Amino acid sequence: MTIELIRPGAHRAAPVLKPLVSRDCGPEGCEIDWLASRRHEAELDIESFGRFAMAQGWGDGLPLVPPTDARVRTFLSSNDRYPDEVVGTLPGNVPCTVEKIVINAVMAGAPAESLELLIAMIASIADPDFELYGVNATTAPVYPAFVVNGPVRHALDIPMSYGCLGGVPGISAAVGRAVRLIMRNVAGQTAGGTSQTTFGSPGRIAGIVTGEWEEKSPWAPLAERRGVAGDAVTSFGTMGTMNVLDTTSHSASDFLEMVGKSYAYVGCNNFSGAVPFGEALIALNPICAEIVGREMPDIEAVQETLWKYASVDARYLNRHHRDQLDGQGRIRSDGRVYAAPEPKDVLVFVAGGLGGLHAACFHTFGTSLSQTKPVASVQSAAHSAAA
Amino acid sequence: MAVGLVLDPTARREDDIAHAGPDAGSLVGKRVGFRLDRMWRAWDWISELWAEKFREAGAEVVFWRSAGRTGDEGERCEREYQAFIESIDVAVVGLANCGSCTGWTVRDAITAANAGLPTTAIATANFETFAHEIAARGGRSGLRVHVLPYPLNEQLKQDVLPIGEAHFEGVLRTMGASLAAREKAA
Repeated sequence: MTIELIRPGAHRAAPVLKPLVSRDCGPEGCEIDWLASRRHEAELDIESFGRFAMAQGWGDGLPLVPPTDARVRTFLSSNDRYPDEVVGTLPGNVPCTVEKIVINAVMAGAPAESLELLIAMIASIADPDFELYGVNATTAPVYPAFVVNGPVRHALDIPMSYGCLGGVPGISAAVGRAVRLIMRNVAGQTAGGTSQTTFGSPGRIAGIVTGEWEEKSPWAPLAERRGVAGDAVTSFGTMGTMNVLDTTSHSASDFLEMVGKSYAYVGCNNFSGAVPFGEALIALNPICAEIVGREMPDIEAVQETLWKYASVDARYLNRHHRDQLDGQGRIRSDGRVYAAPEPKDVLVFVAGGLGGLHAACFHTFGTSLSQTKPVASVQSAAHSAAA
Repeated sequence: MAVGLVLDPTARREDDIAHAGPDAGSLVGKRVGFRLDRMWRAWDWISELWAEKFREAGAEVVFWRSAGRTGDEGERCEREYQAFIESIDVAVVGLANCGSCTGWTVRDAITAANAGLPTTAIATANFETFAHEIAARGGRSGLRVHVLPYPLNEQLKQDVLPIGEAHFEGVLRTMGASLAAREKAA
């Protein structure tokens, strides 16, 4: 066998910005019932509704906002989408409509302004190459991490600095939680039921929603490098976050060597004999990125250096693991096994606080491939209409 | 305490095929296709054992091995699988022995069943309920699932082969299959 390379499927070659609909009769202006979801009678105080939602299997254990008609309609009327628009098809061949996204977003406490971002996030994980079918079902703790690019980061106050991967106050937790509720309520992911996840992860509550600190990056934004300029979101099925501390290095190659070598632990899925290929995602902090960027103004050089070090000598593995990887053709002529098939498969973005010192590594679940989708905006719709 | 109406946040497909699909019937002269994967050597061993018995009964046996299901590789895989199920009369699809591989096993089994093939998915005991649940979510709650013991892949070949032997009559029953030529001779 030979090394299997990651090549995009034809269907994902050209992400197209979906034009926003124009309408002259919105949810608040129409007599008809725009919302197709079944109604349930429930007590609406937070504690009672929480118990009701848990009994229905809708909840994650945290308090939920009751998705009343008024809340759902208000959310919708703040945007420019029809509720029956299908954003993607989720596992079980279930269509995910704008209405279902909004209901779950209301429950999660996400603001109405986040709808277009949520739609792009769901579209990204609904792409067949994201392999949500496997992500949902696996014994692994995988969940989607999202990197946001473009002006929408500022409009929504998406964190990209201190604490951007979790813990900083802001809308990320609610937006990420909305995606997780959609994965539960529409994609059907329930631990011990349709998800066989052995341990799960704290990331399965609110996920990761971070911005790239483009203004501090020496390189073009991640999404732009992947063919989508401006407002965009990139999803990556991650097993969690792994921190890398480096208080010692001075040069670009030294920093990248430390990060790359740290990425390469043999128990991660990137080195599993059961996984034919996988990508890698790495966040460099702004201080480190500035140092690296001075020596390596081309991101390809950064990716190649990280790729080279994110590998292990096959002799380090015991015979059984080595034989399985060898059977997959994953041991190269230099005797090493690489975390990703090619340097291009090591995705890099810049984020984090100005204290520097740390990098963040995200390991793949497997053949789930990262997806970048445009985030539509009212402004772009206005431009389309003017054109 | 205020009572009101809330909207249902869930979605699930409405359609379902609750029957198991056609029996495999006599395997004599039929082309039986085994779907394998890259993860479970125990399934390789058991499928080879069963294949030999099918051949002895007069069936032709072919194998197809699943690989990466995304990107260009995934599309190639999809085309290969479609061609595979068009080339066989009976499908035996495994192995549901982890989360994602149960997902893909059931998904491939549903594809074969929806093409009208007598189809049986093979699962290990720990993933039996899960296999039925996602078969139902996939619109075929009646999908045939034959269950092997768990843990399985952790065992040595010398221990796995007797398990395959012991389950042969059972898998025939699940498939609705018979080895008619052998039965006549007996």
